Amino acid sequence: MDADEVRAKLTGAGAPGILSVDPFPGVAARVRFSPDSAAPLFPIVRDALGFPHLSTVGGIDWVERYEVFYLLWSDTAKTYLLLSADLDAKAPHIETASSTWPSANWHEREAWELVGIGFDHHPDLRHLLMPDGYDFHPLQRAFKLHEPEELEVKVRHV
Amino acid sequence: MSDMWINMGPQHPMTHGLWNLRVHIDGEMILGVDPEMGYLHRGIEKISEDRHYNEVITLMDRTCYVAGMAWEHLYIQAAEKALGLEPPERAEWIRMMSEEFQRLASHIMWYAAFVQDLGLMSPFLYGMRDRDLILDLFQSYTGGRLTYEYMRVGGVRNDLPVGFNDRARKVLDWLEPRLVEYDRLCMGSDIFRRRCDDLGILKAADCVKHGVTGPMLRSAGSKRDIRKDRPYSRYAQVDFDVATAESADVTGRYLVRMEEMRQSIRILRQTLDWLDHHPGPVLADRLPRWLGAPYAPIGREAYLLKRNYPKGIGLSAIEEPHGEACAYVVNEGGEHPYRVKFRSPVFANLSAASQYLVGYHVADIPPIMGSVDVCVGEVDR
Repeated sequence: MDADEVRAKLTGAGAPGILSVDPFPGVAARVRFSPDSAAPLFPIVRDALGFPHLSTVGGIDWVERYEVFYLLWSDTAKTYLLLSADLDAKAPHIETASSTWPSANWHEREAWELVGIGFDHHPDLRHLLMPDGYDFHPLQRAFKLHEPEELEVKVRHV
Repeated sequence: MSDMWINMGPQHPMTHGLWNLRVHIDGEMILGVDPEMGYLHRGIEKISEDRHYNEVITLMDRTCYVAGMAWEHLYIQAAEKALGLEPPERAEWIRMMSEEFQRLASHIMWYAAFVQDLGLMSPFLYGMRDRDLILDLFQSYTGGRLTYEYMRVGGVRNDLPVGFNDRARKVLDWLEPRLVEYDRLCMGSDIFRRRCDDLGILKAADCVKHGVTGPMLRSAGSKRDIRKDRPYSRYAQVDFDVATAESADVTGRYLVRMEEMRQSIRILRQTLDWLDHHPGPVLADRLPRWLGAPYAPIGREAYLLKRNYPKGIGLSAIEEPHGEACAYVVNEGGEHPYRVKFRSPVFANLSAASQYLVGYHVADIPPIMGSVDVCVGEVDR
């Protein structure tokens, strides 16, 4: 399966909100879509394109925008497919994929707490790796890591 | 009826790591489960954004501490694609060999821990002893027994020592009959069969729905193995079969892992034969020559890699001992990866816990979770 075939199949199934379908190394194609059409698009990708296995959901903070990507696997075509959508930098959010692929549940919980992307209508959006009440999103670029030597260590003499 | 929630973990022999399984029970029946993760979260993805490409390798060994080589291999492939580098042929074969030895070591470790959960003590000691032979081999060419820091962007750190291939063959010759003995100890034991048959059933369709991969998926009859479906490294050039079972239960997962060990030995014999006849460089030429010096500090090597590589995104997927692992490395031209994202197979397998635990008894939890082969390091990252 290559990018042309993916494009043809998506058009044939009447998939909404497709912005581009490009070749991408290691996967059949990278499909960029607009986040508003996520809810009707996901079942089409699963059934019409034949990608029933969702490997992972991840988020990237590009400072001026957010990106959320979905890595899918097709057992019939033996290939991966990458879906990606650009989200608004102020309040990034997108419809949950867990109603289409139940395996998205934990991946979205992780992307929500670490990257700060909201998933609408997620059945169980709780903290997964971080403690409850943890208000930061460590994988955002604004969250700076400090190596120990950069920190000013104050030794308290008693 | 009085139902209640109990905690199995974070300190419980069943967990094999640090996590908490909250179980909703009614008497002895399991009504629901809620795994609580994060006790081992070290922020590996975040730390990677602050390190040079080669420095991330140190973290990879700690991602899954029983399958360090597999995770190094996963990351290295993605990083090389992101940077546009090609390793030499011999390095690819050494990496494949390392991954297969790691699969053997990981499965033997699983066998030892799993069978001990069922109360059989001797297989535990047998397993731990035989795994040490593989760790000795790792030590002979990487210097490490658990955390290796062996692979490098553009190849591997050093070539195999003289006489390694023969030593490795001796270990394989020793292991092969041992696997038969392992099998007799378990499949010949009535206690083992009674505790494992028809437990924790998860059919192939449910596995796919919930993202479950690896031996759990193959025990349900699926032939999905990334080494076959989407061959990476040099897996297309070796001969092996995908291990499957039909029962989709704990015994099925046991049978799949046992068969996988036999297939690993098959792959290893072919790999060692290839390595016998094909000497050559193990680090790419485009890198500074002493990037591969065996004792150069890892941070300094990585500093030399600082060049203006074109931007790129690397995506790799491997069949890790636990299942499908993916890495997504974004290179924005800087010294550090812009973003690194890992897909851990155990993460997905655990997220489906309610699918294979509900409806069984509390006493069934150790064998079922044992058959999942939990490695918390790679779940929490």
